[in-house]
Amino acid sequence: MTMRRPRPAIARLIFVGGILVLWEVFARLSHVSPILLAPPSKVFAQIFDIALLRGEVPDFYANALTTIGEVVAAYAITAALGMLVGIAFASSKVIGDAFEPVLLVLYAIPKIILYPVIILILGIGVLPNIVFGVLLGIFVVVFNTTAGLRQVEPNYIALARSVGYGRLAIFIKVVLPAAAPTILAGLRLGFGYTVIGVVTGELLVVNTGLGSLIDWAAVNYHTPELYALILITLCIGVAGNSLFSLLERRWVR
Amino acid sequence: MAIIEVTNVSKTHDDVASGRKVRTLDTISLSAKENDFLILLGPSGCGKSTLLNIIAGLTPYDSGVGEVRVGGQLVTGPNPKLMAYMFQDPVLYPWRTVLKNVEFGLEAQGIDKAERKDRAFKYLRMVGLEDFAHYYPRQLSGGMAQRVAICRSLALETDIILMDEPFGALDEQSRIILGDELIEIWRQVRRTIVFVTHSLTEAVYLGERIAVFSARPGRIKAEIVNPLPRPRTIGKPEFSQMVDTLWNELKGESLISIKRAKAEQDEIALPHE
Repeated sequence: MTMRRPRPAIARLIFVGGILVLWEVFARLSHVSPILLAPPSKVFAQIFDIALLRGEVPDFYANALTTIGEVVAAYAITAALGMLVGIAFASSKVIGDAFEPVLLVLYAIPKIILYPVIILILGIGVLPNIVFGVLLGIFVVVFNTTAGLRQVEPNYIALARSVGYGRLAIFIKVVLPAAAPTILAGLRLGFGYTVIGVVTGELLVVNTGLGSLIDWAAVNYHTPELYALILITLCIGVAGNSLFSLLERRWVR
Repeated sequence: MAIIEVTNVSKTHDDVASGRKVRTLDTISLSAKENDFLILLGPSGCGKSTLLNIIAGLTPYDSGVGEVRVGGQLVTGPNPKLMAYMFQDPVLYPWRTVLKNVEFGLEAQGIDKAERKDRAFKYLRMVGLEDFAHYYPRQLSGGMAQRVAICRSLALETDIILMDEPFGALDEQSRIILGDELIEIWRQVRRTIVFVTHSLTEAVYLGERIAVFSARPGRIKAEIVNPLPRPRTIGKPEFSQMVDTLWNELKGESLISIKRAKAEQDEIALPHE
């Protein structure tokens, strides 16, 4: 018999499963208060209860839809505006030299300190959450788009020129696909940051969305619900990430 | 009539490092007939690649005095109907398959899908790569990748193929084998090839005519007709004699070029006040 190398998926399953078992055992045998720690069995039961609207969580679907809507809206802006700005920076040296430092300064400040200003201007509602999501997500999209476009091998472009392509055709047929891996990496990271931004907004000014439910569960000591809601929120990130893995497998060679 | 005619062409460019104007080519006149296999041979930095780029319409030359005509027309930009260009690196797009890479130039001319495929396969067969049509470039060896690049320039079916040290990045055996294949293809399809190299052996092995460049600013120092019959054999007395002849022309120029490169290095190491 030859030794088979362990498959990564199986290794991962064992790791996650092991943590869940440890967590369950610890939660049941130790004397930690159930207010602080809920065993995973209870958490997963709670996820079903929430999904079937059997528990105490108020308006779960309306709130979940709000968050998903905010994430979709924020991410659409993050991706579209981010790539557009990135393209502008990369295609014109003047624009890049003039405005990139501005963006770098904005990037360096902790965005959270701007949230009160956003609330002041936009009021309470879904809009500030969307804006905050964009604010967190857009930088990495811009920077990666710019870097990806600038790193395209000059010979790739020279070859396309020599066979007679014009500027626009070269951009679409050569520059974009050549930069695609870097741009996609930026879009993937940007998605994660956008989700963070939206949910953070919801947690800071408790009004709507999964963030507000998480806050509700925390202040009312509904610990299994709290853990269950955190896991549900996590699913948005996981779903988005899987989508990018799919895109990368298709497009990136 | 010559298909490529370069008359009194010079090239000056601003050197960013020193802020001075540097003349890379000095009143070059050169021509190539149909079915010619013209070698541009010279020390590194002599401007031979620049001249090739000028012929290709990829680099502008000093306006006013000289002119470059290809197929009777003044060169103002790339002319893919007349000239195909080949780089030192294969420059294959990693997101395209071998077949799609060969088809790349044909797409630009709006040739329909079936004909593109036919033409691509015709040349892939010529270099023995038809079984690799659906591979991606990263799955190929260096020699295979360069064969694909040859296919891509052949598929354009232009009268002229311009090659900038196309085998420069390959090991010696692959160089010789690909050289043989190139000669075989050239005899089959009869194109005009302009081939830049700094290898004396390669020049004698492949060329019909050899233009020897001086060190910068590049001038044509000698135009030598290569009378050796094909197939040529490296190391035969006539072959070595031909290499010697070229080396005698080139030796002094190479020394200048090496000394200058060293001087420039020293200058960078010890900047002036």
